[in-house]
Amino acid sequence: MLLVVVSLFPTTHSIANQLQPTSDPLVVATHTPPSPPKLALTPSNETSDPQSDNELQSGTARQKTGMLETILHYATWILALLATIAIAALLWSTLLQRQVAQRTRQLQRELNERRQVETALRESEIRFRDVTEAASDWIWEMDENMRFTYLSERFFALTGIAPQHVLSRTRWELATGDLANDPQKWQRHRQLLELHQPFRDFVYQTRLNDNQGDGRHLKVSGKPIHDGLGRFRGYRGTGTDITEQVKAEKALHESELRLRRIIDLVPHLIFAKDRYGHFLLANRATAKAYGTSIEALINRSHRQIHGSDEEVERMLTDDLEVIESGVSKLIPEEAFTDHTGHTRTMQTIKIPFTEPGSNKTAALGVSIDITEQKHAKEEVARMRLYLKNIIDSMPSILIGVDPWGYITVLNQLAEEMSGSSWEAAQGRFFGELFPQLENQFEQVRQAIRRGRPIKTPRMTFDVGGELHYADVMVYPLMAESANGAVIRMDDVTARVRIESMMVQTEKMLSVGGLAAGMAHEINNPLGVIMQGSQNILRRIDPTMPRNRAAAAAMGVDLHQINRYLVDRDILHFLEGIREAGARAAKIVADMLSFSRRSESRFTLVDLEEMLETVLRLAASDYDLKKKYDFRRITIKRDYDPALHVMYCDKTEIEQVILNLLKNAAQAMADEGTLSPTIILRTRQEPDTVLIEVIDNGPGMDQKILNRIFEPFFTTKEVGAGTGLGLSVSYFIITEQHNGRLLVHSKPGQGACFSIRLPLNREASL
Amino acid sequence: MAWILIVDDEEMIRENLKAYLEDEGWRVAAFAAVAPALCWLQTGDPCQVCIMDMRLPDMDGNTAIRTLHQMYPEMEFLIHTGSSSYNLPDDLRALGLDESRVYQKPLSDMAPLATAVHMLTVPRENRI
Repeated sequence: MLLVVVSLFPTTHSIANQLQPTSDPLVVATHTPPSPPKLALTPSNETSDPQSDNELQSGTARQKTGMLETILHYATWILALLATIAIAALLWSTLLQRQVAQRTRQLQRELNERRQVETALRESEIRFRDVTEAASDWIWEMDENMRFTYLSERFFALTGIAPQHVLSRTRWELATGDLANDPQKWQRHRQLLELHQPFRDFVYQTRLNDNQGDGRHLKVSGKPIHDGLGRFRGYRGTGTDITEQVKAEKALHESELRLRRIIDLVPHLIFAKDRYGHFLLANRATAKAYGTSIEALINRSHRQIHGSDEEVERMLTDDLEVIESGVSKLIPEEAFTDHTGHTRTMQTIKIPFTEPGSNKTAALGVSIDITEQKHAKEEVARMRLYLKNIIDSMPSILIGVDPWGYITVLNQLAEEMSGSSWEAAQGRFFGELFPQLENQFEQVRQAIRRGRPIKTPRMTFDVGGELHYADVMVYPLMAESANGAVIRMDDVTARVRIESMMVQTEKMLSVGGLAAGMAHEINNPLGVIMQGSQNILRRIDPTMPRNRAAAAAMGVDLHQINRYLVDRDILHFLEGIREAGARAAKIVADMLSFSRRSESRFTLVDLEEMLETVLRLAASDYDLKKKYDFRRITIKRDYDPALHVMYCDKTEIEQVILNLLKNAAQAMADEGTLSPTIILRTRQEPDTVLIEVIDNGPGMDQKILNRIFEPFFTTKEVGAGTGLGLSVSYFIITEQHNGRLLVHSKPGQGACFSIRLPLNREASL
Repeated sequence: MAWILIVDDEEMIRENLKAYLEDEGWRVAAFAAVAPALCWLQTGDPCQVCIMDMRLPDMDGNTAIRTLHQMYPEMEFLIHTGSSSYNLPDDLRALGLDESRVYQKPLSDMAPLATAVHMLTVPRENRI
């Protein structure tokens, strides 16, 4: 037993030794029996070793006594028995030792586990304490009347509210403002409490006094407490101060609201669509354009909303392009038909945009309505074209210049005149393109300086050898953005000619008036001259019986006198006096033609018949002295068969045509035209009768043409014409017949005189 | 031999016409105004043809023709005027005068006038 007890200890120790490998040498030396545990560890055949030790001791005892043999025998048996017992005891002790060791290990383990649990518990406690102290949570308790009975320290630390303000009061007593704001929330909360139900995350605002500002936002959760008998004892729970969170949320919300308001205020279309064409974002302008609400747009497909399929496909293609490429795209102009069917022109920029939260790329678009701008642009372009057309339609040459004389604008006539287009002329000095106008630069400067137009009337220009007249006007441009001047040039050659014609007509009329006034006074002396000459010639004629009788009575030889008169050219001089008188009389008679006649001598005249009469008259006008013979001229008749009769003053028109024929004949004779030809042509025109007298004579240059109808203008040698023939013709046609007399001619190319007389009688009167 | 009467205030016209017609064989009386012509007619021989100027100092030619016609219905008239705008009054036309009786001054040749005088001196019934 002792052994067992002894061995028990070393076992315990050896276990301890095993646990603590740094074995104490003292403990090993004192207790020899430590070997059995060693034996127990060695194989069983080595158990003979302790037995042989016992035999050595019994051998020494046999030598002393034989008797002792029996005793020894018995002793051997006893020893054997003892040995057996000892072995059994050893075995038993080994078994026990093992059990003890096992148990010891178990206990050791349990001890360890408990120690670990305790450590974990302690750590948990620490953690809990730390959490409680660190977290924005506190613990509260309230009694069965819902009055606060306990608040953990964190409450004050977190909310800044001293517990004494809270304890023994109900929650709603601490949140009067919140209660008033949302009584339903509180009603639901109280109902829960009355039913002793747990609650979670009840959020409310507590405000004890005005110093607290907005008060604190608290979030509480709680569970009912029941005692061992299941009676309701109140509530216990945690609370969190979420004021900062609420504030942050509020700020975030406000910020979002602000942004939302901003994008809604923007009149442009702002939207975002995912790759499938669903709206992720849309501002009010976008919703309005589609005639719907923002809410109705979000998450709906563009295809469902937009009326025009063609536009949708185009826009979605653009969206996809932006999403795929990750590069912004500017669409300078695109058509967009809104829900009213009104098509607008938009300018859109599409930007790749990563949607928060999803990490997917969407297309953010901003569309600006440029319809008005485009209209304005088009209007400007249209206006520009319109103004260009207007300035092009002006009969004037218009040259816009800046204050330094560089061209800004040319109208069509100016382009034609300079042979340069507006575009090409821009920025060039005007004098370079319009050398004739170069001297107007001073006027340009003056006009701009004085702010008044400056006119230069009747400037003369040489246009292809012809003298042209132009009025040049320089207008200053005073508009702020268009400082400069416009040079306006009007070709007034035609007007100058008409004016000179009018002057001529006036001249002729005054000549007519003058002639009428003096005709009587001049005609008498002319009559005296001519009649006197005639009588003189008659009375010296030797063939006249009266002359011979008178001469015989005086004893004079009339034949001798006559010879003398011939010899001394006296008869010739007398004939000269008569002719001069006749010419003067013709001039007076022509001048009298210029006076308007009150009575009408208009009759229906057969045109062909009249022309034939005139041709006969012309043919009889053979004059040796004038060196032409009308009969040598080929007359070509080109009469319009449809034309028969017309209303006119026959004598006057005859006079005109005769005059034209004689002029033509004379001009061709003077020039020595080889095969002189006159074409007489008649044509019926819509409202007029055309009579043309065309010769193949020498023709005339512009200088002569300019003056051809002027009274007293003549190209014939002095004495050959009165200088009134064509002016009288002109007068007869234009004034008395309300017709037109034109001449076309060029040197060496003959001349064509065209008479146009009104076809109907009323117009000719 | 018939008498021809000329009334013209221009002396040399008067004289020239007188000389030409006398050379043609007529007796010619010429006056510068109507009044002395009337005096002469009252005393002298009957006159067959009168060449009348229009602008006269005492009377205008038309009135003179009317007066003379009233007094001497057989008398024929030729008008010799310097006015280019002369128109025959209708009452004179009624007396048988027409444009062929009107001679514009100046006459470069007096022969046509003489022929006309000759025609008028032929008795009316014998005229062609």
